[in-house]
Amino acid sequence: MNYLFYISSIVAIAATVMVITRHQPVHALLYLVVSFLGVAMIFLSLGAPFVATLEIILYAGAIIVLFIFVVMMLNLGRESAIQERQWMQPKTWIGPSILTAILLGELLVLLTMGGSAPMPQQTVDLKKIPLSLYGEYVIAVELTGFLLMAGIVGAAHIGRHKKKYLHRFLKQEEEAV
Amino acid sequence: MTHEQLMALLPFMVLATASIVIILLIAFRQGHTVIQVTGFLMMCLVIFTMWYVRDFLPQTIMPLLIVDGYGALFTGLIIFCVLVVGLFSYIYFEEREENPREYYILIFLSTLGAAILTISRHFISFFIGLELLSVSLYALIAYLRTRNNAVEAGVKYLLLAALTSAFLLFGMALIYMDAGSMDFSAIAQKLHTAEQSSPLFLVGFSLMMIAVGFKLALVPFHLWAADVYQGAPPPVASFIATVSKIGVFAVLLRFAQELHLQNNHSIMTIISVIAIFSMISGNLLALRQQNIKRLLAYSSIAHFGYLLVAFLPGNSAGVEAAAFYLIAYAITILIAFGVIILLSAKDKDAERLSLYRGLFWEKPFVAIVLAVALLSLAGIPLTAGFIGKFYVLMAGVQQQAWLPVIVLVVTSVIGLYYYLRIISTLFSDVSVAIEKEKKLHPFFYAASYTALVVLVLLLLGFGVMPATIIPGIKQFLLIGN
Repeated sequence: MNYLFYISSIVAIAATVMVITRHQPVHALLYLVVSFLGVAMIFLSLGAPFVATLEIILYAGAIIVLFIFVVMMLNLGRESAIQERQWMQPKTWIGPSILTAILLGELLVLLTMGGSAPMPQQTVDLKKIPLSLYGEYVIAVELTGFLLMAGIVGAAHIGRHKKKYLHRFLKQEEEAV
Repeated sequence: MTHEQLMALLPFMVLATASIVIILLIAFRQGHTVIQVTGFLMMCLVIFTMWYVRDFLPQTIMPLLIVDGYGALFTGLIIFCVLVVGLFSYIYFEEREENPREYYILIFLSTLGAAILTISRHFISFFIGLELLSVSLYALIAYLRTRNNAVEAGVKYLLLAALTSAFLLFGMALIYMDAGSMDFSAIAQKLHTAEQSSPLFLVGFSLMMIAVGFKLALVPFHLWAADVYQGAPPPVASFIATVSKIGVFAVLLRFAQELHLQNNHSIMTIISVIAIFSMISGNLLALRQQNIKRLLAYSSIAHFGYLLVAFLPGNSAGVEAAAFYLIAYAITILIAFGVIILLSAKDKDAERLSLYRGLFWEKPFVAIVLAVALLSLAGIPLTAGFIGKFYVLMAGVQQQAWLPVIVLVVTSVIGLYYYLRIISTLFSDVSVAIEKEKKLHPFFYAASYTALVVLVLLLLGFGVMPATIIPGIKQFLLIGN
């Protein structure tokens, strides 16, 4: 089963290289999804199906949807619609599609004949993950919470806008209070 | 977790609570003064709890943390630095354009990261502590976000820190692949049983040294130092120079002690080459520098090169020398940045050297304080800097690491030139008045001046009577060994 690992690694690396060389953010995001799928495939071939699922749900699902929402909100108006049509040439989506097709092929191979070829690693049991996370590594989980807090506080400060006043009377009122 | 383990972790829990308390105070719309005073009291509480739980040490909290005398010593030093930085922050941020309240949350979170580094015995806590430290620092460096320099410095630090974190993770992964564990002592056991050090471990450690070298601003990973020191607000720059570097150096030292890295010839060669280049280029870059913040950045590169010489022996004398050197260095750099903060005008920091011309005739107290700090950085006798350098030299000579020791002596002489250049500027006769209107409550100025006086007295006290502190350091280091 080793060759599955190598193929998905090559797909992930190729997709990531494409992410950082694209000029349009949307195109980069398309490749980023493929890169996440490739990484999920690597986890699957290493015997960690739970992490692979999480990778798809969290990264390829939630975070990418968030990215796409932001990009969509930034591009408003008729001109951008025309521009988007120009971006959506076959050459932009054919690359990610081929890479994804390779990954899908791998998955099908795994599903149909995975039982016959023994995997070198043992599968990580779903139950073991929460037991170790909330058992011996609970301090690490708590510290990660603080890490997220630092990120949020920092981003909130850097990204804050000056308050906009719609009318000067409102401003005076606020100052008086 | 047992009662004793919880007690040993109590100071760290209080430290973690401090940031949450500040968030609650902001939610209840408290002012800067309330937040500042509460933060100060919380830090005092951390020190008090550390004193309170001293009998419970050492405690190992499997698998991530170990709270022993070594960790307590460096955590205490970190908290002391944060106390002083917090005090200076008040007068700096009270008159700046930004709302200063989130600043305290980030400072305390960053401190928590550094404190976790000093007690970690596992790659996971090492990495999380380091990330906690650097993620908070990204925002802190760019805190005055309308200033171009600050944003530039923040982005530079963000990109380089993220890149070096990737190197750190890859290095950890390689060592994990080699040793089959991320636990420092388990790795040590694996290394001990193996006949020769494997190339995997060597590559892994070198990759980890990239991240550590970046955080300590060692050559060749020092490119960010000058820009970040210049762009960051001076309290944050002093925080980077003290807290962040102490935390990272503490974990590096613990890792090396645990693994007996001094027996590994190739790793010691890598570290002495880094030390030699840091000492040489740090001092040479500082020679012609006209900006005092950049000058302090370059001198910090050189100073951490000196520290690595104390790191080379890997015995208890080296650890004592490193601990004393870090204490002396932290006090000195806090004084220097404290003076910069006191002299900074509302929209511009006092960073040009020409601003300091004839400062002695204008403000004799501040000038003398700065001169003492610079003399200590240069390693002149009667200051703590001299004793620190002497200890480091002694540790290096015992190990017979002649080349680093000779480079240390020669570069110290070069360093003398630029420190004395600033001091002569302070006492030259042309006087340029620094505009500074006083509108804050005089209490905070009094507190800052008192802090400066206390720091100078500590510096001179440790320099004249090092016997007052060295037994204390030894006693701390003995706990848990």
